[in-house]
Parts: sequence; C-alpha cells; structure tokens
Amino acid sequence: MSANSSTRTFRPYTGEKARIARAYDYLVLVLALFLFIGSFHLHFALTVGDWDFWVDWKDRQWWPAVTPIIGITFPAAVQAVLWTNFRLPLGATLCVACLSIGTWIARIFAYHYWNYFPINMVLPSTMLPSALVLDAVLMLSNSLTVTAIFGGSAFALLFYPSNWPIFGMFHVPVEAGNSQLTVADMFGFQYIRTGMPEYLRIIERGTLRTYGQVAAPLSAFFSALICTLMYTLWWYIGKWFATTRYLKRI
Amino acid sequence: MKKLFNNTSMYQLNPSMVRQALGNCSMRCPTSCIHAVDHERIQQVTSGHSQKEYYSMNKITSVRPEPVEGQLEKLLKCLLFLGLILSVYMLTLQPVMAHGEKNLEPYVRMRTIQWYDVQWSQQKFNVNDEVSVTGKFHVAEDWPISVPKPDAAFLNISTPGPVLIRTERYLNGKPYMNSVALQPGGDYDFKVLLKGRLPGHYHIHPFFNLRDAGQVMGRGAWLDIAGNEADFTNNIQTINGEMVNMETYGLGNGIFFHSFWALLGTAWLLWWVRRPLFIARYRMLQAGLENELVTPLDRNIGKVILVGVPVLVFAFYTMTVNKYPKAIPLQTSLDQILPLSAKVNAGVVDVETLRAEYRIPERAMKLSLKIKNGSDKPIQLGEFATGSVRFLNKAVPVPEQSNAESVVAPEGLNLDNPAPIQPGEQRTVLMTAADALWESERLDGLINDADSRIGGLVFFFDPEGERYVSSITAAVIPKFN
Repeated sequence: MSANSSTRTFRPYTGEKARIARAYDYLVLVLALFLFIGSFHLHFALTVGDWDFWVDWKDRQWWPAVTPIIGITFPAAVQAVLWTNFRLPLGATLCVACLSIGTWIARIFAYHYWNYFPINMVLPSTMLPSALVLDAVLMLSNSLTVTAIFGGSAFALLFYPSNWPIFGMFHVPVEAGNSQLTVADMFGFQYIRTGMPEYLRIIERGTLRTYGQVAAPLSAFFSALICTLMYTLWWYIGKWFATTRYLKRI
Repeated sequence: MKKLFNNTSMYQLNPSMVRQALGNCSMRCPTSCIHAVDHERIQQVTSGHSQKEYYSMNKITSVRPEPVEGQLEKLLKCLLFLGLILSVYMLTLQPVMAHGEKNLEPYVRMRTIQWYDVQWSQQKFNVNDEVSVTGKFHVAEDWPISVPKPDAAFLNISTPGPVLIRTERYLNGKPYMNSVALQPGGDYDFKVLLKGRLPGHYHIHPFFNLRDAGQVMGRGAWLDIAGNEADFTNNIQTINGEMVNMETYGLGNGIFFHSFWALLGTAWLLWWVRRPLFIARYRMLQAGLENELVTPLDRNIGKVILVGVPVLVFAFYTMTVNKYPKAIPLQTSLDQILPLSAKVNAGVVDVETLRAEYRIPERAMKLSLKIKNGSDKPIQLGEFATGSVRFLNKAVPVPEQSNAESVVAPEGLNLDNPAPIQPGEQRTVLMTAADALWESERLDGLINDADSRIGGLVFFFDPEGERYVSSITAAVIPKFN
C-alpha cells in the first residue's frame, strides 16, 4: 500500500539533481574499480595464489576446485549490496573484471618486467563467463536460494571448460629427461624459480581422483557444492558490511 | 576558567586577551594545555564581566587562534632531515650480493648437504650459450633430528629470476626433471645445464630445496652474460613433432580468449552503467518501481547470457579438445635415484671423531680424530670443509679444481702431529680449524643451537695426489675462556 502510494508520488530527479546523482554514480564506480582491483586481487593472490600464478600449477584437481571457491566470495558479497539496494545485476561481473585487470597488471609488471618470467608462463585464468552467468541467474531469479544453488554451481562448473581453451595447449606432451612432461611442466623446469621447488606443487594429491579415473569433473562438482555454500556465506557478509544509511538522508 | 571554557570555545577568544592572561608565558597554545596557573589568571581577567559584556567591551565576535610560531619551520626542518637521511641511504644502496646462506642455522649447513668440487664450465658467455655446473655432494649420515629427512629434495639454481633457463639436469648421470629422494650417507654427483637468457652480471649458486627444511646453498660463482636479450630463443619439440617457442607459446591464444570474455563482460557492465545507478535506482526501488529497474529487455538479455555463455564455453572447450586430443595432465613424480658407490667414507681411510671443542675466544674448533689409514700409501690431512667454509692445511698441497667461490681459510688448519699417516697406521690427531670465518660466516652460532653438533668433510691426500674423503660428526663442547 505504501509502495503504491510512494509509486504514485515518485518524482525522478531532473536537472541539477540528476546531474549530481550521475556524478555520484561515476565517483562510486571509479572508487569501486580501484577498491576491487586492489582488494579482490589481494584476496585472490593470498588464497588461490600459485594455482593462478603459474601455468604448471593448473592441474585438473585442485585448480578447478580452489579457484571458483575463492573466486565466488567477492562477487557474492557485492551482488548482495548491488542487487538488494539497487537491483543492479552486475556485482559478479564487476568484481571479476576488476580481478582480471589487477591480475593482468601484476603479471605484466611484477612477473614479466620485474622478474623476467615470460607472460605465457603466468597467464591468469578467467572467471568472466562464470560471473556473467551468476549475474544473469540472480537477475532472472531474484532469489538468493536459487542463485546460490544454480548460480553458484554454474560458477564452478563453467570454470574448467572456460579456461581449457586458454590452457589446453599447455598440456601437449613433451619428452624430456627420459620422462613425459607437458609443455606447462617444461615451463616449471626451465624457467628457474628459486623459491618454487617442484615438490611444492600440489598436483592431484588426495583421493578425489579415484572415480572412474576422472579428476576434473569430480573436482568441478565438488567445487560447485562448496560454491553454493560460499555464495550464501559471502552474500550475508556483503549485507552485513554494506549500508545505505547515507542514501536515506538524501 | 572552567566557566569560560564551558561557555565558549577557544576559537572565540581574543588573542590579546589570551596573551594578557598568559603574561609572558611562551607556551601560548590555545587549547587545553594552558598551565593551571594561567587558567587562574584568565579567570581573574574575565571576572566581574559576563562573557557577552566582555566580548562587547573588546569589540570581538570571533577570531581564529594564531598559528604557533615556529611550528611550520620545525616541521620543515624535520622533513628536510628525514629527506637527507633518505638521500644518504639511497646513495649508498648496494646490490644484494648474497642469498641469505648465512642465515640458515649452522647445523643445517654443516650436517645436511655437504657440497664439494663444484665447478662451472665457464663464467663469461653470451645469451643462448650453454653453461654447466657440476659437482658432488655427500648427504650427511648425522642428519639433524629437527630437519625432516630429505625424502623430497629439488636441485635448484639460485638466480635473480630466470636470467638463465635450465635445459637439462642430471643426478649420478641420470637425467631427471622432478624432485628426488636422497639417502643420508649417500654420495651423489650432479650436472645442470643452463642457457643464458638475460644479459647481466649475476651471482649464481646451485642449491637444494629440502622439503620442510629450506635451502642449502652450494658454492656460487659470478656469471657474466653478454649479448642481446632479444636474441634469446628457446624452442622445444613436442611429442607430436611440433616445434614450440617457449617464450611466446600460447600467449596470443590466451590474450584472445581473455579479450573475448572481457568484451562480453564490459558490454554487460556498460549496459547497466549507461543508466542512472545508485541514488536514482535506490529511490525507485524504495518507491516500488522495481519493474522499471529491470526491464523485459534486460531479462531477455539475461536469458541470452544464461544460455549463450555456457554454449560458447562448451563450444570453445570442444574445439580445444579436438585441436589437442593428446593433451595429458600435468606430470609430477618423485624420482628415485640411488646413490653412487661410496665416495666419502669409502672404507680406505676411516675417521672417528672422539671429541670436538669450540674455543670461543680463539674462534677455533678442535677436533680429536682417530684416523686409520687403510691405503697403501702415506696420507696427510689437507682440508676440512664444513658449511661453506674450507680450512686448508698449508703443509699439504691441495689441488684446486674448482672455479666456484668458496670461503677459504688458507692457513686455517693445523695438526698436533703433521707427519704423514703411514699405510696401516692408526693415529689419534688433534685437528684445529681456527679462523675468524667461524664468526663471520655465522657458523659459531651452533653453540646456541638445541642440536649443537658439527659435521663436515675431511680430505686426505697421498703423495700422488689421490684423495680420500671422510665425513665426520660430533657434539660440540664450547669453551668460553
């Protein structure tokens, strides 16, 4: 009832008010861009870390499990803020785009120019397809539950296939040192990393693979399950941290 | 005074009034730091008048406090001083010349990987030239209890980034690509082939990464790589026979797919950002205009994304699978390479350590060794090597075969009985390894370790130059006076 009455009395901003509101939009967007480039990138580097840094860490078990589970955190929190208060279904895409920008900057300047690694050895993974689908699910469903279950699952399940076109060619076999390696393994062997001995890599460790000799799909479904939980958790973290009390005063 | 300050802020005080109240006091801070005695004086000045009357009488409304004299100058001086210190610091910066090898606990350096005969094939070469480093190491029998056993070890090269690439690596003549399990007491020789990639002057060490233990550095060398970085090539052949340029392989493809998804993502963001966002949408949402915030067209685009993106993903995935049908998972394994037949403690010369004392004031390690010469020639003890330090007996000519750097005490080794040990003879010798290197190389820190034991290699030589190597170990007893 009150909504109907307020709908009838609603008058959109025009003139100077509209211009100021638009300027505020851009101000927030620019700040959000730098905030998410820094914070999400830092969060990602500290948690996913080597799995995303190095081409010879991107295995079919841990990489597709760890990356979406960590990658869905900020998107869920930002979606909670932007969707609940503004009905803006771009939280996931915005976060992942910012992450991509930060990651590419780091790979080019820190890894390539500063530490001399070839960029192809430190290509980042992409989660943009997953983020687009997550935003679309939220917009179409307008439901936390549906987005957590279906969007969260899609976020994880799409990760490995959307990255295989980038990294599949690094899995071509090579014979070296009387053994079979991939091109990615050769990068790890040839391009010396003083603090990264081979044994540090976590490549298909554990018992997750013991189902019909498949690792990646099993890992992706495990990741999907955890992503549904992580999405919900981080949605509430986003809601908890965010406030619109300043907007209410306008 | 309390009354005054309660009724008005200090920003409303006339400076002349404050000065009058404070008299000649130099501390005229217009805040709560005014001395208690001055508070009383201010109260006396203002007594007898209401605050309003006083202001009216002095024709004041409000004034700002005067800036504190000299405060800005002090700040500037302080900044100038800090800038000067920073400048001196920056001007005296030196390139890093070490890899932290002295920081590792002495017992780890002495009693894990005992390097010797490290040799570089050349130290000046060009981009694309190959250089090899060879050498030997003995895995100490007396492996420290606090260091995990070398079940996974990685023979690495300490470089400032991949200024060289590692093309081949051998342990005991066998090529290997992964980590390896080492056996305490085992003897190994190694060879690593490297290729110059970036021109420069670099300090390079072979070293072992030991799982859960850290790095144990071998002897380093300065390498000079000349030439042009752009000339570097690194092509490898895949099993399918395709030649691959490792410097650029997959880069264009990766950029293409990242760009493709970035374009779609940017389009989606712009689709929303082009409209008024936060304040406008918030007000509309509060007004119940949710349907106008997400239009039917938005929903249709969302449906296209929901269907189209997964279809694209799986289309690209299928294309890649078809393009690289022989792709294999990343490979990882732990190589098992057996030690060589004994090179150290080979059974010809037996050495038993009876006692070890470290005399702190003299920086001298005194080791009582029971030596039995099982060879058919007289032998002399020519060298004791521990950690990164070599103590040489000047009475015995030690053939120098290594161009790798080592920290040497050329006259640091003395024996109580320098006479050669005859074939079949057993003798107890007091060996003294004395030099300030114990301190400067931070090996004397073992007296502070929970596991204060020493380990090292002793080298014997016969008249024909034949060398016999023995590993020694003992608990160290410090002597403080």
